[in-house]
Amino acid sequence: MDETKFTPKIVGFLCNWCTYAAADLAGSSKTEISPLFSVIRVMCSSRIDHNLLLTTFFNGADGILIAGCHPGDCHYDKGNYYARRRYALLKNVMDTLKLEPERLELSWVSASEGKRYADVVNEFSKKIEQLGPNPIKKSSVF
Amino acid sequence: MKKKIGVYVCECGPNIADKVDIDKIIETVVAANNSENVEIIGDRHKLLCSAAGKVFLEEEIKNKELTHMVVAACSPRDHNSTFINVCKKTELNPYLYKMVNIREHCAWIIPDKDKATNKAIEYIQGGVARVQYQTELIEKKLDTNPDVLVIGGGIAGIEAAISLAGKKRKVTLIERSAVLGGKSVFLKELLPSQAGKEYINKRIKDLTDNENIQVFLNTEIEKIIGFLGNFEIILSDVTNKDKKTEIKTGATIVATGFGLSDVTEFSNINYDTKDEVYTSLEIEKMLSEKGKLKLSSGVPPKKVGLIHCVGRDEKKYCSQICCNYMMKIANYFKKQSAKIEVKEFYKDLCLPHKDDQKLFNLTKKNGVDLVRIKEVSLNGTKIKYSRIDGTIEENEFDMVVVAPPIIPSDSTKNLSEILDIPLDEFGFFQEAHLSTNPVGTSTDGIFIIGNAQGPRGISNSILMAHAASGQIRTQLIPGEQIVPEVKVSEVLEAFCMGCKNCIDVCCYGAIYFDEIKGISVVNEAICRGCGNCVASCPSGSIRLKHFTNEQIYQEVIEALK
Ligand SMILES: Cc1cc2nc3c(=O)[nH]c(=O)nc-3n(C[C@H](O)[C@H](O)[C@H](O)COP(=O)(O)OP(=O)(O)OC[C@H]3O[C@@H](n4cnc5c(N)ncnc54)[C@H](O)[C@@H]3O)c2cc1C
Ligand code: SF4
Ligand code: SF4
Ligand code: SF4
Ligand code: FES
Repeated sequence: MDETKFTPKIVGFLCNWCTYAAADLAGSSKTEISPLFSVIRVMCSSRIDHNLLLTTFFNGADGILIAGCHPGDCHYDKGNYYARRRYALLKNVMDTLKLEPERLELSWVSASEGKRYADVVNEFSKKIEQLGPNPIKKSSVF
Repeated sequence: MKKKIGVYVCECGPNIADKVDIDKIIETVVAANNSENVEIIGDRHKLLCSAAGKVFLEEEIKNKELTHMVVAACSPRDHNSTFINVCKKTELNPYLYKMVNIREHCAWIIPDKDKATNKAIEYIQGGVARVQYQTELIEKKLDTNPDVLVIGGGIAGIEAAISLAGKKRKVTLIERSAVLGGKSVFLKELLPSQAGKEYINKRIKDLTDNENIQVFLNTEIEKIIGFLGNFEIILSDVTNKDKKTEIKTGATIVATGFGLSDVTEFSNINYDTKDEVYTSLEIEKMLSEKGKLKLSSGVPPKKVGLIHCVGRDEKKYCSQICCNYMMKIANYFKKQSAKIEVKEFYKDLCLPHKDDQKLFNLTKKNGVDLVRIKEVSLNGTKIKYSRIDGTIEENEFDMVVVAPPIIPSDSTKNLSEILDIPLDEFGFFQEAHLSTNPVGTSTDGIFIIGNAQGPRGISNSILMAHAASGQIRTQLIPGEQIVPEVKVSEVLEAFCMGCKNCIDVCCYGAIYFDEIKGISVVNEAICRGCGNCVASCPSGSIRLKHFTNEQIYQEVIEALK
């Protein structure tokens, strides 16, 4: 693939109560955010499972961001703690599968952190641009 | 049957219309999806959330006989419910509609109009794909019981009961001991005012006079099952365990108060029962009952030492009210006789209420010697202390008063098991959220108030009583039904292997194990739809309705095209 033409596809799974609200706030403050990033709303970061994440990678996502409420602030009590454990586990799995674990990121962004949301997304998007395409796209296995 | 999917793009005045090319969006979406099985009806509107916009959508659904609908507008956090309500006026099940956010997540964040237009198309395509995988969900209405059980007859429980009881809402209050009023009835004066326990006694009378409140003394809770709106409860008599009462309520308030720690468990405090050392509560009781503060010999003390904050370092929290009431107690002595020498030892002063500074000034004015210290130890009635400048001194007193840490009431642990409500790191009941919902718990319909949640004075205990009462009054309106969350999880029987992972991760106890079938089952009335259990299931046997993998994948696939 011609590296100069690489436009990554990045998927963000955002929890409804904190980070999705932060994304709304970033929007209403007219903060510029990378169009490479696609938002998918879930009720809680704990909903995101390996199945969903791996399928997203296998379908060609160059990066995935999971984002939810800060520790202690999950709308469903402790959902984000479970999300964090699953994230740590999946990072290992990705490493084993040579899927470049740095393509997966977890972040806590509260409803009031619109500016921070934009920073997290833009920085992650930049990082993925630098990383280049998801190795799966080049492989013949999938 | 051919699907007829309405796709409506909102202009939001200029907010969306100026930033993306709406006509191009509609054209593209129609062309991309129209097929043998799908017909897209695409249109735009100036302001979909306006009265005219809602009528427009309603008529579109009816006249065009839509099978699905996608609304591309602002955030679902703003107007999802607006359009759900439009669907409810028609035959279209609201769960066959999907809102797509092309304002906050598109028009407003992507300055380049072409790029913004393409992004909007991507999101709407995701919505169109997803909505076809959505299924009808039927909201079931449940009758609710507006009645309330209050556990604990201290001031917090009493105030909650009085505030809730009415013609259409009966309250049952159970008190473990033989008397009402909790610790407050022992207090001679109630800070911040001088109003003594007359106030407490008046409230006890208000409670017992109230025909909508039934009080059970010497009674504890033995069992509770159910959920917000429908709890079934068994009460038992403390003196005769076989004497049981069954009641039904819609909500339960826990107001079991506090206990005082045994101060001799702390290594710096050493005294014998024969020594003239008293806890703060013993002083309050003595003054209330005998009208005077005396040594056990019957003579009034001449030199009194008061120690604040005993055990705070060990307990790792501030008991909040001791600074306050220790100054009150110092003043009791000064009021009895200005000649009594009173020395008060404190490490830090906690003066959280607006009147506290006044009390501090008054205490100094009354001649109480307030000594800030670093360390303190008690041996009999001898107090050894290091001042803040490091000098060490030792004084002998003929009476010593200590402020023990406020700890959870001794029934807390047992009660947390019966109610299935977690405790915090200090052993008090754990609130739903410390800043946003300090009276709620992890179970809808069960509330914690007063010192059961943590140390606090009477006014704050009463505030919590009113907070819980307010929530109950809006959640359980007499005669009204409630609609439980429909976007709940379900276990697919055929695939569940009975590992119970899901039961472990659910923070609400919404999943139980069916021993006969050997599978887990979700109690839909309790489930809040977070999806945590879905992600925990190794065999993929749980589906969160409206957020199934298939539905989410549709959005993923469109995002990756
Ligand atoms: C020495 C001292 C002085 C104080 N002075 C002041 C003051 O001047 N001003 C002020 O605002 N505050 C003062 N306080 C604090 C005040 O006492 C508390 O804020 C108040 O008592 C809290 O009320 P409560 O209802 O939360 O708890 P409690 O008064 O502890 O009442 C709890 C009740 O629940 C009952 N109970 C416990 N477990 C169960 C169970 N499992 N089932 C049924 N019933 C149960 C108990 O028997 C008790 O009757 C003082 C406290 C002390 C110790
Ligand atoms: S529905 Fe949303 S996008 Fe449309 S006019 Fe109302 S606020 Fe604006
Ligand atoms: S969705 Fe959440 S609340 Fe419902 S059963 Fe699963 S873990 Fe419990
Ligand atoms: S986690 Fe899955 S397999 Fe295990 S008990 Fe729950 S539903 Fe069954
Ligand atoms: S609700 Fe935001 S992480 Fe759970």
